[in-house]
Amino acid sequence: MQPPRSLWVSFSLGRPLGVPNDVAFQHRVIGAALDLLNAERGPVLEDFPEDAPHIEIDDTPACPVTFARPASNTNTWQAALLAELQTLTPWHDLGKRKRGGRTLVGISGPDVKGNLEKLGQYLDDSKLPISELKWFKAAIEDLKVFYIESLTAQPGSYHPSIIEDIFWLETTLGAALLKMSERFEQDPAIASVTRIIVPRSALEKHKKSIYLKQETEVSNNPWRI
Amino acid sequence: MVKLADLPEYEREHLLSKSEPPLGPPVWQQVKKDISALRIALITTAGLHFRDDPSFDFADATFRPISGSENAANLVMSHSSVNFDKSGFAEDVNLVFPIDRFRELEVANKIGSLADVHYSFMGAGLSPQAYETSALQVASLLKKDQVDAVFLTPV
Repeated sequence: MQPPRSLWVSFSLGRPLGVPNDVAFQHRVIGAALDLLNAERGPVLEDFPEDAPHIEIDDTPACPVTFARPASNTNTWQAALLAELQTLTPWHDLGKRKRGGRTLVGISGPDVKGNLEKLGQYLDDSKLPISELKWFKAAIEDLKVFYIESLTAQPGSYHPSIIEDIFWLETTLGAALLKMSERFEQDPAIASVTRIIVPRSALEKHKKSIYLKQETEVSNNPWRI
Repeated sequence: MVKLADLPEYEREHLLSKSEPPLGPPVWQQVKKDISALRIALITTAGLHFRDDPSFDFADATFRPISGSENAANLVMSHSSVNFDKSGFAEDVNLVFPIDRFRELEVANKIGSLADVHYSFMGAGLSPQAYETSALQVASLLKKDQVDAVFLTPV
């Protein structure tokens, strides 16, 4: 595309200024970008010399709640999702207070509980929300951000990839969306909808985790030759 | 620096497909003022807007104005892509839309002033051609606002 002046940064996609709440770091990024205005000819493409501070995976807060998959008293998707919501809500409230009341949740209209109930119902009925894809997309993005805001409510820094892993591999909502995505994928006419549900990176990790689980089951099989 | 060759094939193909008409040869305009005298606008492709504004659709070439006088902490995101981190923006709006940092630069006289209105696009799913009308509208609005330079934050 060759815009006139570009600063290449090595930060995670979605974090163009590098580090949340780090005023000095953000100013260094902006300063380097503004310096490009002094270039005498272009297009200019320069590297920003700093990476975002490294976060040790061990420093990432433990998952603040236990995301057991549906328990015996939650044998429907809807019940399991609502049980998870009950566990998460205090953490979301805490995170919201920490951010001075700021939340990204709510652009889909109905409340979080209403969205989870409806999503769970679709899964329990083995149906797809084909006639209301607009609601579905807005609702799942709202739900994802509710989970993200809850998961990051613990003090300290966290690695974004760990939050993604917890969401997609450990929560009932992650499992629900992967299930929904699989069902869309089975019909070639609507298979492309999967692209607006699950990130490719999470899909690959999910497939890998299934493969590893199967491998473990095979290796633990006493009848294995 | 990450090279194209280091990217997954789907990401490489996606990025290469962006160099399409009406994007022509590179443009260049020499800056004639000192940075401390420039009037600057922010433009993001992060799909930001205020809660009462219409959300962006799956593929949407429209834009949303973001008034410089409103509280940016009330911005929400309705970007349709699922392939980037949103936890950082949930924590700090400035990570994507650094309006407070630019206000600080304005107060410190490091830049001249900030535009009255900034703009948000949702950069997903469409070719550059689809954005031509909106881009021309925004360019015209920036001129009316006497803007000298734009700080663009893609996600």
